[in-house]
Amino acid sequence: MKGNIFKITLGIWLILWVSFITRELFRKGYFYDYKALIFRSLEGKRSYVTGDRFYEFLTFCNERLPPLANYGWVGVEPESVDMRRAAYYLYPHLEKKDYPDFILVYDKPMIAKAGYETFIRLDYVRYILKRKGDI
Amino acid sequence: MEFVRLCIAIITITFIGWNILYALSFRYKSNLHFSERLAVSYGLGLGFMSLGMIFFYFFNIGFTPLKIITPWSALVLLNSIIYFRNHKKATLTAAFKADDKNHRFLKTFFIIGIAFEAAYAFFRALIKPLESYDAIAIYAIKAKIFYLSKSIPHDFFSRVTFVFPHPDYPLNIPLSETLIYLFLGNLNDQLVKIIFPLYFVSILTVVYFGIRRFANSSYALLFTFLLASVPQFSAYATNGYLDLPLSFYCLTSALFLFLWFQNREAVCFLMISAVMAGLAGWTKNEGFMYCAINIFMVVLFFIFDCREKIWSKLWYLFTYAFIIFAISLPWIIIKKSAGLVNDEISLINYSPANLISQSYKIVPIIYEFQKQAFGFKKWNLLWIVLFFILIVKRRFIFIARERYVTIFLFLSVSGYILMYLINSSPIEWSLGRTWSRFLLHFLPLAVFWMATILKEDPRL
Repeated sequence: MKGNIFKITLGIWLILWVSFITRELFRKGYFYDYKALIFRSLEGKRSYVTGDRFYEFLTFCNERLPPLANYGWVGVEPESVDMRRAAYYLYPHLEKKDYPDFILVYDKPMIAKAGYETFIRLDYVRYILKRKGDI
Repeated sequence: MEFVRLCIAIITITFIGWNILYALSFRYKSNLHFSERLAVSYGLGLGFMSLGMIFFYFFNIGFTPLKIITPWSALVLLNSIIYFRNHKKATLTAAFKADDKNHRFLKTFFIIGIAFEAAYAFFRALIKPLESYDAIAIYAIKAKIFYLSKSIPHDFFSRVTFVFPHPDYPLNIPLSETLIYLFLGNLNDQLVKIIFPLYFVSILTVVYFGIRRFANSSYALLFTFLLASVPQFSAYATNGYLDLPLSFYCLTSALFLFLWFQNREAVCFLMISAVMAGLAGWTKNEGFMYCAINIFMVVLFFIFDCREKIWSKLWYLFTYAFIIFAISLPWIIIKKSAGLVNDEISLINYSPANLISQSYKIVPIIYEFQKQAFGFKKWNLLWIVLFFILIVKRRFIFIARERYVTIFLFLSVSGYILMYLINSSPIEWSLGRTWSRFLLHFLPLAVFWMATILKEDPRL
């Protein structure tokens, strides 16, 4: 009796084990992620996991923001994983809530923000605003 | 070349951990199998080297691999002298059960299963750079700051840390990541993830040899395989969260304490347990709860099972608590001086009146518990099997060595329930976000408990 309980439990465990790995690989799409990631460079992998389009904008911001300038966001949901990844990739630039030196605008057509002017554009919906006056 | 540097980093960390373990063991081999010593050494090395890096902040010294290693070389030198003078004296008898020659097919199958899970964990961890929420937002960003400034910046605790979430979280893993970056010579946030599957393998090793002390290899392999194949457990070996490192320190602190309960001559087990408990507090705030549980277990043991003189008991208890306190002290000093507090949990909320007013949270807590228990996608059948064993083998859960494991698990769950009661965040949000991770902290010990209970039944 005990031997049977053990065998049945182990059998179900093994079936679930295999099915969860398979499900993860194919239904959740991990296999396709691995296939896409395996031959990419480190930079390419960062871009893939962050989202190529968003990562392109972060790289653009990193290249254009002056050293130690702080920034704020428009178009990225506060506390979202994108916001956290941006904070990680943009460091040593730090985020500032009130009156930052620069505002990074993502996926928003030209917005008017009092006290700010266009600094540089990546495209029509991805650009950087700069606070008017000396920074 | 980067891979070679990474290997050098891991070997250096483990070697320093090995020396710390050697010093803690008073030169005794302390009944640890070679693989078990490697696993324990890895966790010890990483924990102590990152703790050492905090002193660089106190003395305003920058980080380089050489500067970080240098203080430990004194210990290596001392150990070498002791080893070459006295190594023949220093042994205890081996404590593992004889291996069985049966169940070859099952054993081979479990070994392949464990090897697959370990290899898959390394693959999943190393295929991507750090990208998951907490891994990036709380830990990797701190590691990046430390690496770029080659130190803990002097204004880090007064200004910079407040820009990012949870400034009060301990720095074991961020500093460990910095250490790997320093060895690599660049900010490779992909290779740095090797830290996490190594903790995964270390936990499996410690669990296996923990069970091997009272059972044969096929029995130990079965439970090690069960642990390795829990989807949630293997997933967290790859995503850069701190739950598995904490799980490692909780497991080793508890297991070595139980080993000391069985063999009080081996004081080194008590020392290892105290050090691991201290490192649990240095890894995550929840680790302090495990420090308290460990100290409480020692008190319980002295009250009910120890016939030594009161002064001897007090000495052991004081030493145990002192080691934990000494390891926690640097971080406590920084937290107090910088005013780093947790924004969700505060000791002020521990009043009985507040606990009663929060008792309505018990219903969602129980609901979440059952949701996890039947959450096969994360836990396979593990919690169902555990509850089944709890009911069917209830006669065995409070006998001999099992009772301390049972009490430890009971206190762990109770501690988390208490944390939810005093948590100021909305309970459903808090439970949904954290409970499935908290379970990981005592999961290896729960598997060990299942192994001990089933073994205790003479009919099996």
